Amino acid sequence: MDLLEPTRRAFELLLAGDPRLLEAIWLSLWTSVVAIALIAPPSIALGFLLAKRHFPGQRVLVVLVQALLSFPTVVIGLLIYLMLSRRGPFGELELLFTPSAIISGYMMIALPILVVFTISAVQGADARVYETARCLGASRLHASLTTLWEVRFGVLAAVVNGFGRVVSEVGCAVMVGGNIEGLTRNIPTAIALETSKGDFAQGIALGLVLMVAALGVNIVLALLQGRGGLR
Amino acid sequence: MSAPLLIVSGLQKRFGDRLLFDIEGLAIEEGHTYVLTGPNGSGKTTLLRILAGLESPQAGELRFRGDAIGEGAGRERLRRSIVYVHQHPYLFQTSLRHNLEYGLRCRGVPADERARRVDEAIAWAGLQAQQRTPPAKLSGGEKQRAALARVRALHPDLMLLDEPTSNLDREGRAQTLALLAQLRDEGRTVVVACHDQELIALEGVVRLWLEDGVIRKRSG
Repeated sequence: MDLLEPTRRAFELLLAGDPRLLEAIWLSLWTSVVAIALIAPPSIALGFLLAKRHFPGQRVLVVLVQALLSFPTVVIGLLIYLMLSRRGPFGELELLFTPSAIISGYMMIALPILVVFTISAVQGADARVYETARCLGASRLHASLTTLWEVRFGVLAAVVNGFGRVVSEVGCAVMVGGNIEGLTRNIPTAIALETSKGDFAQGIALGLVLMVAALGVNIVLALLQGRGGLR
Repeated sequence: MSAPLLIVSGLQKRFGDRLLFDIEGLAIEEGHTYVLTGPNGSGKTTLLRILAGLESPQAGELRFRGDAIGEGAGRERLRRSIVYVHQHPYLFQTSLRHNLEYGLRCRGVPADERARRVDEAIAWAGLQAQQRTPPAKLSGGEKQRAALARVRALHPDLMLLDEPTSNLDREGRAQTLALLAQLRDEGRTVVVACHDQELIALEGVVRLWLEDGVIRKRSG
């Protein structure tokens, strides 16, 4: 198969600002950003609690969250589909096949990544951080936030990984979004569809956007890490 | 003579079946420096941590300025009055200045007063050249002096210092000893747990010996 021609066309589409392409890109970006923004604070808080506090059922909860990491996204999509379908408990909200449904799915997918990465970051923190903060007069909440700040690059890595996972996700987005052009067709679902139709140029163009986005986010993370400790 | 700042009575700490200490009575007077020494494993660090509220005893009572210290809100308020410094102090991964400001921010000290106190503490510890240095780049002695300055800036009622001169080179140790002598001269109330003979021999301090679960005052 000749890859040069579709790649050349892919660049043409990108440079020309093809509206179908831009719609898919915009939908992917804003739904991913909103999902991460909504799920990151509670997930990071949960990760911190699971790392620092001991309570009955804590171990079970950690195992459960870790198990969610390996859950197929299409199964998460199926669960959300059942919840949002007409006969489901949230059917009246009429969210199925809307960007909101995609965001719900993305939040479920990102949650275990954010929690597990946060647990790992907090457990890797120096044990004296929290205690030092408390000794200096910080409240429990303030000392917890200080600990998270001390491991901010680990937490940031959690957010970046969560974003990377959802922005490239297909199964759940197809299940609950329906891949409707102009409404719920995002980058990964468009790549899957266009490739299946034999339109490799669209697929390559969108794939390039995804790779640039992933690279850009990781470069920003690396730059921030490089500045660590200087404030 | 004024009432003691802190009174310890019947304080027991056990680890499993092993009784670490059973301190019948101990009074910490305001304005004095106490040097607490004793064999390894005698419970010096644990005692300091209990006084700081970081660990709980199995039995006993602590009275601060005459009021019994319980759990909850009262204990929380005391965190601002009694400050503990680890043997290997942790400095937050930010500049030295921010480290010194941390406790003052927790206490809601206004910005201008905060800056004044931080400047004074930095000058006291002789760390003017390092005030914008990340902690990772400070030497062991500088870290210890920074930790002392961070606590001193808070003007706490009681400072609990755990082995402040251990693991320091000669110069770092000498500088830390000089700062501890200054704290004594300033009339701060300090309890220092240590093995350092020079610190134990410091004039004008009250020497405490903890061994076999019992604490005794030792004469000079």
